[in-house]
Amino acid sequence: MPRRLSVLALVTDAFGGYGGIAQYNRDLLRALADSALIERVIVLPRIAESGAASPWPKVVQAKPRYERLSYSLNALTAASRKGPFDVIFCGHLYHAPLAGALHRITGARTWHQMHGIDAWDRPSRLVCSALRHADLVTTVSRYTRKRMLEWASVSPERVRVLPNTVRSIFSAGPRSEATLAKFGLARAKIVLTVSRVAKTDVYKGHQRVIEAMVAVRKAEPEARYVIVGDGDGRVALQALAERLSLGDTVRFLGRVDDNDVVALYRSADAFVMPSVKEGFGIVFVEAAACGLPVIAGNRDGSVDALADGAIGRLIDPLSQDNLAKAMIDVLLHRPPAALAAVQRYTYPRFADHVDALVRTLAA
Amino acid sequence: MCGVNGIFAYHYAANAIDRAELLRTRDHMAARGPDAEGLWISSDERVGFGHRRLSIIDLSDAGRQPMASADGRLIVTFNGEIYNYQALREKLLAQGRVFRSNSDTEVLLHLYALKGPEMVHELRGMFAFAIWDEWERILFLARDPYGIKPLYYCDDGWTFRFASQVKALLAGGGVSRDRDPAGDVGFHLFGHVPEPFTTHRAISSLPAGSTLIVDRVGARAPERYHSIAQVYQDAESRATLRGASATEPEEFREALLDSVRHHLVADVPVGAFLSSGIDSSSLVGLMRDAGQRDIQTVTLSFAEFVGMPEDEAPLAAEIARTYGTRHTTRRIDEAEFESDLPRILAAMDQPSIDGINTWFVAKAARELGLKVAISGLGGDELFGGYPSFHDIPNWVRLLGFPSRAPLVGRLARIASQQITGMFGASPKAAGMLEYGGGYAGAYLLRRGLFMPWELSEVLPRDVAKEGLRRLAPLALIERELTPRPSLPAACVSALESALYMKNQLLRDTDWASMAHSIEVRTPLVDATLLRRVAEIVAATGQAPNKLSLADAPSRALPPGVKGRPKTGFVTPIATWQTHGALGVRRRGDAATGDKGPWARAWADVIWKGAEEACRAA
Repeated sequence: MPRRLSVLALVTDAFGGYGGIAQYNRDLLRALADSALIERVIVLPRIAESGAASPWPKVVQAKPRYERLSYSLNALTAASRKGPFDVIFCGHLYHAPLAGALHRITGARTWHQMHGIDAWDRPSRLVCSALRHADLVTTVSRYTRKRMLEWASVSPERVRVLPNTVRSIFSAGPRSEATLAKFGLARAKIVLTVSRVAKTDVYKGHQRVIEAMVAVRKAEPEARYVIVGDGDGRVALQALAERLSLGDTVRFLGRVDDNDVVALYRSADAFVMPSVKEGFGIVFVEAAACGLPVIAGNRDGSVDALADGAIGRLIDPLSQDNLAKAMIDVLLHRPPAALAAVQRYTYPRFADHVDALVRTLAA
Repeated sequence: MCGVNGIFAYHYAANAIDRAELLRTRDHMAARGPDAEGLWISSDERVGFGHRRLSIIDLSDAGRQPMASADGRLIVTFNGEIYNYQALREKLLAQGRVFRSNSDTEVLLHLYALKGPEMVHELRGMFAFAIWDEWERILFLARDPYGIKPLYYCDDGWTFRFASQVKALLAGGGVSRDRDPAGDVGFHLFGHVPEPFTTHRAISSLPAGSTLIVDRVGARAPERYHSIAQVYQDAESRATLRGASATEPEEFREALLDSVRHHLVADVPVGAFLSSGIDSSSLVGLMRDAGQRDIQTVTLSFAEFVGMPEDEAPLAAEIARTYGTRHTTRRIDEAEFESDLPRILAAMDQPSIDGINTWFVAKAARELGLKVAISGLGGDELFGGYPSFHDIPNWVRLLGFPSRAPLVGRLARIASQQITGMFGASPKAAGMLEYGGGYAGAYLLRRGLFMPWELSEVLPRDVAKEGLRRLAPLALIERELTPRPSLPAACVSALESALYMKNQLLRDTDWASMAHSIEVRTPLVDATLLRRVAEIVAATGQAPNKLSLADAPSRALPPGVKGRPKTGFVTPIATWQTHGALGVRRRGDAATGDKGPWARAWADVIWKGAEEACRAA
């Protein structure tokens, strides 16, 4: 049995954080806690709700430090006072130079995590240099791995794929008439997107779906496009829907809680997000885990979320024609749920792989 | 000699392997193995192997592949020949192992079961194989010390794929087709794409003399188990310890004969490619000494050279008479070259400015019904046959000191680039001071097609820049000198063997011969023989004289062979390609290492052909 490892984790957020990266970090920290090869993990977040803590005794989250200098000094202090650490886990490229410095000072091995678009193009020289010495890099998808290897001087054998994992709350269940009634969607044929609607997120393709709804509504008059999520891009999308006379067809629900999201997944007819810049796209897996047919683009990490098409339909996200056809097809001839195919993204598989990756660091 | 391929869906998120893809890749290599094809897919559909067979040892169905061990633990797909398989088999039988065939393939299964990855040290031969270990759930790949047999792989983060050819992997349809700027730059610098790079970013060559393990987290870094530089350095260390002792000529002759004898192991007739040079003719003589009575020899002759000193046919015929071979002279003309060119470009797995001779001589051998032929390849690397053995140490000695002054070399190059341009001198001359002072730089000057500073003239500037960054050509050359032998002859031999011979001559020989389903065997490219040669270099400070090879056959070579000036592989392709524009003046690059305008023009033809093929695919 190899020696058990102590880990110092530099993360943007984990416990008491929001969004996909915080969720990924929580899943990873849980998997580290579950690994017999891990002695302990000290987590240093930049952001966290006050009082947020790790539910696993092996994993301890320190107080958040937002400012760069304060965060870095805190990390240096933790490395010397709470060490020694065998591994520095760096949860975001943003922290890579700090992780590199800690590696040089302490000699600990480094493990860098890559998510989406931030890892696709060549970052600063400082970040590149830090990655050159990485012992392990994990990316959420093959696409992010491929893009990263185009600029990073790190040997491909050190770059592994560790996809997001789907939480167990996302599971198949009966259609919820109550939820549909609550949102005024009774009897509607629902095409759903769940994501932020920020101006910076135009790549997710809400606009293209709205445009496609003109054709979809002709084929299926009861079709409604339901957007869950909010952001500063909403106004422009609403204006577009009005311009296309789709005022009643496109519904903006804003942010809704997890229970409603699950109920909507179970009650909708298709999930669609023709994005071109997904690191992975966990929403596709969450929707599919609830039994919903999904449609995604074939140009980014979505290909992994849909497991090369085993979990849903991959289309050219920039082809309006393909998009409309796929949506109509799914609404008129609902394909069977891909529940078995989604199982690959459940936590036990993820945790098992984390353990195997940790083993490579322990060797 | 065969084509191998496989897919391993190692990642938990990956789908089961695609049988149709496995077949597409396998059958793209039909010419490598026309005699049989095989397929194996594990019961959980996570691993699959393909195999195309050219039957040479144990022609029965017992030798078919992929082959499983009796206990079902191991399965192998293997391309190549294990020349010492009979001795290994005897040893394994004595240890109680039970064999089900007479093939060398089965020896691999038993050896792996006993020794695991360490088995490679026992093997003498040319090989590229993969073994799936069902109990450990590990995929093991290995390639012979010199990289005579090719092996390419791709790990996309979920699924690992391998095959004997880059184009076969691409034909499967599961591999990214993004081009690698390092491949673009490598081809223009060297006239071939140096390993581990290929034309495609996603595909790597498993380095010669390396093994690779793939487990549930993916491909580990290749591990090198053989290095030519290391062999030379070890011999030097032993000579220092024990005192140098000259190898007796008879002892050396025995080492050569031993290699030839091993290379004749086959259940089909073994012929020979015969030129008028010492290397191939000595090997034919040694084939006789090894006891082979019936030898089919083939010589190429070019219509343009009839009656000229370049024509190898008359002297080759005399050699054939001396050794009593069944001899055929195959004449090639421009019309045949032109009609074959599309097929040559299609068969050329990775772009290369060489390989045409092998294409035609292998074609001729196939017409004669041969499956296996001996080639003299490797003699120049072993016996100091290239001008580089003289030039590179001289340059390093003369320029080593002045080139160390910072920036002087670069300034001198920039200044003299203008001058060499004006007087039509070789563009390489400008780089003498910048590159000539170290072995890696001097080697690049000697063997380079275009120089690094010329790349932006033939490639888009960003491709040239990114390609140079990824390729790091001087570091790539330097790796083949690590650990560094102290003797110049050892350094040049290591460089020529591990770069020019491995990346160009051997790779070209593979695709050009396999396209005609011919197995080429190279007794002068043999790790056991190399150790003997390294002892001679360590004892004398020099590469062994070619005459020691010429004197090896018990029946002497015809007198004309030893005295014949070296021409290398001379072909009139230059004339055919340029219709006399550049003439035959600059031909014969293999002999001199000087890649003049002809080679550059030809490189352009190859490059455009390769790009077109890529677009069309």
